[in-house]
Amino acid sequence: MSAMPRWVALPVAALVLVSGVVWVQLANGGGTYEPLHPADACAERAVTSRDDGIEGLAERLVLLGIKDAACSLGVSREALTLELAQPGARTDAQIDALHEGLLSAVGRMKKDGSLPRASELVDGALDSANLNGLLERAIRAIPDSVVNTALKTDDVLIRAIDDLDLRALLTNLGNQDDLNQQIEDAVTRAVKDSLTARLRNLL
Amino acid sequence: MAPLLAVTVALVLADSAVVTLALPDILQHLDASVGQVAWVLIAYNLVLGLAAVPAAMGFSRVNTRIFSATGIAVFVGASAVCAMAGSIDVLIVARCVQAIGGALALVGCLEQLVAEHGERRGVATWVTAGVIGTALGPVVGGLLTQAISWQAIFVVQVPFAALAVPAALAVRPARAVPGIAPDRHRPAVRANVTLALLSAALTAALFLLVLLLVQGWGRSPATAAITVSVVPIAALAARPLARLLQPPPGVEIAVGCFLVAGGLLGLALPPSANLAWTIAPQALVGLGLGLTVDRLTFRAMEMRLPRARHAGWTIGARHVGVVLGLAILTPVFTADLQDAQVPAQEAITSLVLDSPLTPQDKIAVAQALGSELTSQQGQVPDLHPAFAELNLDPEERSAAAQLERDLNAQLERAATRAFRDSFLIGAGLALLALLTVIPLRRRRKP
Repeated sequence: MSAMPRWVALPVAALVLVSGVVWVQLANGGGTYEPLHPADACAERAVTSRDDGIEGLAERLVLLGIKDAACSLGVSREALTLELAQPGARTDAQIDALHEGLLSAVGRMKKDGSLPRASELVDGALDSANLNGLLERAIRAIPDSVVNTALKTDDVLIRAIDDLDLRALLTNLGNQDDLNQQIEDAVTRAVKDSLTARLRNLL
Repeated sequence: MAPLLAVTVALVLADSAVVTLALPDILQHLDASVGQVAWVLIAYNLVLGLAAVPAAMGFSRVNTRIFSATGIAVFVGASAVCAMAGSIDVLIVARCVQAIGGALALVGCLEQLVAEHGERRGVATWVTAGVIGTALGPVVGGLLTQAISWQAIFVVQVPFAALAVPAALAVRPARAVPGIAPDRHRPAVRANVTLALLSAALTAALFLLVLLLVQGWGRSPATAAITVSVVPIAALAARPLARLLQPPPGVEIAVGCFLVAGGLLGLALPPSANLAWTIAPQALVGLGLGLTVDRLTFRAMEMRLPRARHAGWTIGARHVGVVLGLAILTPVFTADLQDAQVPAQEAITSLVLDSPLTPQDKIAVAQALGSELTSQQGQVPDLHPAFAELNLDPEERSAAAQLERDLNAQLERAATRAFRDSFLIGAGLALLALLTVIPLRRRRKP
């Protein structure tokens, strides 16, 4: 049997070196070092917020609402967020999906018990509302049980969402003051309507 | 005299890629577009590639000393103009003139090195100086750009090359070899084609890697220069390795092409943006470079006359190969970088939406990022200014700092992914070079 030719050593060494380097790179995740892929918008997702008050509630509602809207539109939550953040006209499908998504978020939060009771939101609402001192003190004096009996958070939120002009809201995304004003007006009207409906039922 | 001529050869060939790490600075300083600044690199290689053979043809009609000295002087003058260029157009034109001078200098220096050292040692010095220059170009360019400025790259060349002008004039002309017809041998087509394809692949390795390090991973030109110094160091190790294993030249060239392809494959698959992951693949590329370029150049010139003309063909093949590499890879990675924007933006959006910041701070971060991304269109964005301008509560700052790190990691991932296809194409070019080495048929035994 003839000995292996001497020149074979270099190709073999090269093969070992290249295989070794590529194997180590791949074994450490070389082929998958890519940007984070957006999660399936239709999959369940836990949503949390650093803020416990009204703003935290709004944040959780918006995150869940956008997720559900993205699911019904067949896009990722991130793609829809980026699209809505761009200036320009919104399609009816987007507005409808967002409306439905927000309503479904209220229903889900009510179901899992993460929707705060109305009394827990009163202080935050009064802090941001521009009421005269006497009226503000009077409202703060109302016992929590009375507030919770008179106002149901889900009812107020559903009325506020139905009342919101989402198309106008999305146009004002760049203007924080206008945005707050629109939401505040919608929530105030929703509280009034909810109380009126409650009184009507009692009578 | 000979060391100065060898330094000139190294300088001319180093100039092929010396500005790679300086391109972002040139773009900013001369207010140029990405397309224009690419021509600083392309123009030199294209003109050098196209001028080499005509320069070699003209060589036989002119006095060697005058030819060499003129070429070096033109190269020096054009280098000085490059350093003083106030506009991108002037810089590109000066680079073209520099390449013409470089082509004359390369051909002239070859003959003068042979006159000084004899055929074998003279050619070996010329080839080795060229390989060292090619491998060290990006490293030296990056260090000078970081330490001084991009103009320093051209300024430092002037004294070295200027000293070579009197050196070229002082070399005694070689005695003519009697009985050899000037047009005796045809160009070594196969060796030159291999050289061209391999140069295209090596362009992918050096050009794309420094771009990935500086633009994609946000490293400084000096860090990138030190990182890519692995290639020339590994190239130096190739010759002792070949001496130890003594493969036939054909096998050595084929293995070199395979190593370059393997190194580029490794560069296409880094597991993270840690510089350490580029070292082993670069070492493969360097070994491949060391095993192939000088061997192929010798093969293309060996026993072929007139020597200058065959040297011209090798220079032409190498630099046309570089231009070919740039022409193939530039549109690919530019388009891939463009395509990487959407996944990167989605990843950033996902992280901002889920970040442990208060709703107000999330909105502030999103708005700052939005305006920063818009103002940095067309390049891998630097997100730090967006975070620096935020007015956050002290307890929010650590979460914001973590978010900034996470977002930068996503950008590094997106940039790395965007360069993958270009590195793979580079690997394909190296494999194509390997195919040209394989003999088409066996020689019949007599």
